[in-house]
Amino acid sequence: MILVVAEQRDGRLNRATWETIAAAQSLSGSLPITIVVPGASVAGVAEELAGAGVAEVLAAEHPALAQYTPDGWTQALQAIVEQRSPTFVLLPHTYQTRDFAPKLAARLRTPLITDVIAINGSGAHATFARPMFQGKLVADVRPQGDGPFFVSIQVGAYRADAVQKSGTAPVSKVDLVIDESAIRQRPEAPFQEARHAVDLGQAERIVAVGRGIKGQEHLPLAEKLAKAMGAELAASRPICDSGWLPMERQIGSSGQTVAPKLYVALGISGAIQHLVGMKGSRTIVAINKDAEAPIFEVADYGIVGDLFELTPAIVAELEKT
Amino acid sequence: MTRETLDVDVLIVGGGPAGLSAALRLAQLQKEHGGPDGSPLQVAVLEKAREGGAHQLSGAVLDPSTLRELIPDFQAKGAPLAAEVTDDHVYLLTEKSKLRFPIVPPPLRNHGNYIVSLNRLTKWLTEQVEAAGVDIFSGFAGQDVLMEGRRVIGVRTGDRGIDRHGTPKAAFEPGVDIHAKVTIFCDGVRGNLTKELLRRLELGRGRQPQQFAIGLKELWEVPPDRLAPGSVIHTLGYPLRHEEFGGAFIYAMAAGQLSVGFVAGLDYRDPLFDPHVAFNRFKLHPFVASLLSGGQMIRYGAKALPEGGWNTIPKTYMDGGVIAGDAAGFLNSMRLKGIHLAMRTGMLAAETTFDAIRAGDTSEAALAAYQRRIDASPVRDELYPVRSVHQAFGRGLIPGLLLSGVALMSKGALLDDLSGHAGHDQMKTLAWYYGIDKSAAATHATTTADRKLTFDKVTNVHYSGTVHDEDQPSHLLVHTEVCSTICGPEYGHPCTRFCPANVYEIQHDAAGVPRLQINASNCVHCKTCDIMDPYQVITWVPPEGGGGPQYNGM
Amino acid sequence: MKIAVCIKQVPTREWQPRLTDDKTWIREQDASWEMNEPDAYALEEALRLREKHGGEVVVCSVGPSRVQQVIREALARGADRALHVEDNGLANADAFLVADALAPAMAEERFDLVLTGLQSDDQGHAQMGVVLAERLDIPHSTIIMDVEIIGESGQGGRVRVKRELEGGWFQWITMPLPALLTIQSGINQLRYATLKGIMAAKKKEIRKVAVPAGLRPSQQILSLALPTKAKQTQMITGSAGEAARELVRRLREEARVL
Repeated sequence: MILVVAEQRDGRLNRATWETIAAAQSLSGSLPITIVVPGASVAGVAEELAGAGVAEVLAAEHPALAQYTPDGWTQALQAIVEQRSPTFVLLPHTYQTRDFAPKLAARLRTPLITDVIAINGSGAHATFARPMFQGKLVADVRPQGDGPFFVSIQVGAYRADAVQKSGTAPVSKVDLVIDESAIRQRPEAPFQEARHAVDLGQAERIVAVGRGIKGQEHLPLAEKLAKAMGAELAASRPICDSGWLPMERQIGSSGQTVAPKLYVALGISGAIQHLVGMKGSRTIVAINKDAEAPIFEVADYGIVGDLFELTPAIVAELEKT
Repeated sequence: MTRETLDVDVLIVGGGPAGLSAALRLAQLQKEHGGPDGSPLQVAVLEKAREGGAHQLSGAVLDPSTLRELIPDFQAKGAPLAAEVTDDHVYLLTEKSKLRFPIVPPPLRNHGNYIVSLNRLTKWLTEQVEAAGVDIFSGFAGQDVLMEGRRVIGVRTGDRGIDRHGTPKAAFEPGVDIHAKVTIFCDGVRGNLTKELLRRLELGRGRQPQQFAIGLKELWEVPPDRLAPGSVIHTLGYPLRHEEFGGAFIYAMAAGQLSVGFVAGLDYRDPLFDPHVAFNRFKLHPFVASLLSGGQMIRYGAKALPEGGWNTIPKTYMDGGVIAGDAAGFLNSMRLKGIHLAMRTGMLAAETTFDAIRAGDTSEAALAAYQRRIDASPVRDELYPVRSVHQAFGRGLIPGLLLSGVALMSKGALLDDLSGHAGHDQMKTLAWYYGIDKSAAATHATTTADRKLTFDKVTNVHYSGTVHDEDQPSHLLVHTEVCSTICGPEYGHPCTRFCPANVYEIQHDAAGVPRLQINASNCVHCKTCDIMDPYQVITWVPPEGGGGPQYNGM
Repeated sequence: MKIAVCIKQVPTREWQPRLTDDKTWIREQDASWEMNEPDAYALEEALRLREKHGGEVVVCSVGPSRVQQVIREALARGADRALHVEDNGLANADAFLVADALAPAMAEERFDLVLTGLQSDDQGHAQMGVVLAERLDIPHSTIIMDVEIIGESGQGGRVRVKRELEGGWFQWITMPLPALLTIQSGINQLRYATLKGIMAAKKKEIRKVAVPAGLRPSQQILSLALPTKAKQTQMITGSAGEAARELVRRLREEARVL
């Protein structure tokens, strides 16, 4: 059996859970899939997950799990894993998973393979691909020992809409015994902080400009595209060196390394110093006058043309719907 | 702001072959004789690179004679000598073909020598010095010479933690004043401290002007059967013209690993000459391309070389200081070798320093013993006979070759002391070189790199591993008035060409006025700009310690 | 206050990947090494806490003898002494193995606070600190941006930490000491090692610790490879309007990124 650990906060399901289910389905072979939802009151989330094309959904409810703590989660899931003996335990590689999964795996003395981007094979002998050396290399890894094997799936590596939904799985409550005195963390309520710094690392979409933008006065064109796409604005080194955009927006070996879902390179030639900062992006669009520009070697979609004509045309297309 | 001070007996500036040999020799002398009045000598080495060897680049074919003297058991201690030279070839290249020299000229014969990576050798030497108990401070740059009157009393290291606007950051650390009884300056070709000494103490008076060349180098991985390990190839001719000094080399360090380099004299007349373009042309020559094609360039770097020879070496001693290695110009441009001379002058500097401190007299008169030691050593034996060779080449390739022959055969006796000129003075204006019409049409000529054999400068710099903290002031100090006014029409902004790292770019503002943009963090510390700029308005100072190239294997 | 900082030596960020012939690890001869960046911030945090609350900072590291480079750097920046679990075989150890190698020696020391970086720049498991906390049986929290000691700074005191959540959210958490924290990069400004610091470092203790017996890796690297681009570049042609239309369509329907 493959156990998928769902992540929810205040009754709202983290979308990465669906991605994890998709991964579980690709791994499963003939293994049935069970989803477990830890929390204090998770009925709604559990119902939502029942249509996921899985064998069953477990609501692991307990008042001590009203707020997330690693001690609480470890206790709850340890009991369930020991009872159910899954072959694999899959989790989304979120900050929360990173906070408790290693503790749980360590306590059970069983491997945890984190940040997995692809699964090779299926069933008990599957191996797992994960990035190493800041994405410069990809490792194919096999867990050692008898299991259960814990695997955390990189957010975005699998598509949430790839889940094969079918039927309605039974939802059952798990009787949890939790020693509240053994939960040593006292969390306060989460809060949001006003962003004073640009965090390109968190952006889902980025529009980056290079020398091809020709002058600071043309930046509004790129800004318009970024707005229409719901993207952050970034730049290659020469733009920041000239002071047209602040250093915080620089992508490349002397700036930031990003891997957003969408990266649009406007008038960027693709010097290697820039490529190392963005080539891990999921979908790369390159627009450049020069058909020989190295940026086209890493692009998924490329247009050889004048960005001053193409950019307004793309904005117009986006604003149509 | 209070500055820390540190007192040592001997301060060695520069952790290259000269500085490390000096340090090791001092440690050896200590062991043999004990320090002055029994207490150990406090010796410190300053090295601006993050780790030993990181800024070291050379061809290189090493004459092991000095290494044998300094560390007789160097083989047993694992000295990293890549390959013993097995084969020597010299070719004259034309655009499409090559002519082999039937006899390899004696200075270029390398029997008994080793092909080495200077980076790896320096790393190993660093370990030997550390094992001998000497403090090496890596990541510390010598910023200024400390003097009292005409006496050198030490060196101030660079401040660290200043942002690009000159404001101290939270982690700001002011430079340290290191006081020493004797400072041994081994700060390399066109070293910034030696340059300061030359100016303040007029050490070049009565000597010929220093002359330099630029060397560009790449490490290539190729199929293992291309060139047998130990093969040494030197070329003359294409892509250089008769009026231009220089040549190229290909050394087979190991099966499938080639060291490929190109040297051009920094005294060329054509203001549009670009050494990097010439290097690319060299690699596209059918002979060279046949060795490299299908291979992968894994490292790139560049450095200036001191080419002037014996007569351009300044006075090397002063109150409280001596100069060794490339900083003084101890390089044999005929044999293309300087490492063994750097090591030997480092050792001689150490011996002189040791005696002077023990005798309690570190004055100029006492340290003059350094020059006497050099005069009595193989250094003079080697450099004096070929003292005018580089100057002869200044008159053209044929005169150069002829005069070299005379120098060789007569062991320097039959050679007058030819005069030379500072290289930057040799650059002609566009109008002079190309005629009045061209001067208006000076545009930055770009070459299209094929990205297989040839690369643009920016890509090459990436492979030099160069990193600097971006948030610091520019370490290239430039009087930029000429950039916006006369340089374009007169010389066509040659800094954008002679810099092998694309540090200098010209941007035009809305009114078409040229403005110099300095990409300081690309700098590979080669010193070419400080040497070659025709107006001499560029001064290279060390960036924050630790920054620079990472020349693994070079 | 007795603070431990776990530091790792990793290849520098500029290092170009070169693999061993069997492709199961990197060719180390060509690499330059440095202190793992998040660990450097953890060290800085530890030094600041010592400045505020007194005590000592002990750096702990696992690996071959080359690891001494980063241990010395930590001592030069101000750490008081070091523990080194020295073993050539641990060069490519996974996070569980590293934690198991450190735990016995660290348990003996009875640290009040253990800091690690949130993950390493080489294998990037992001597990070692949390596993170590489990082995030492002390509470932990991860991806920490801010640390406050409440009450006593030794055993019996508490620590209040600001934890980073995704999407610009944060959370304060309080735990009793001793505790373990994994530290986020960039939370403070790293100090330089001074000349005096480098000289003093030579005299500081680096205690060599034997590798505990019976350690086994939790996972095996079958192979390493350069990431390959799965897709071919699709060039979109036509007039500006046509190309724009086609691009938007593909981004919406094929790539599903809009």
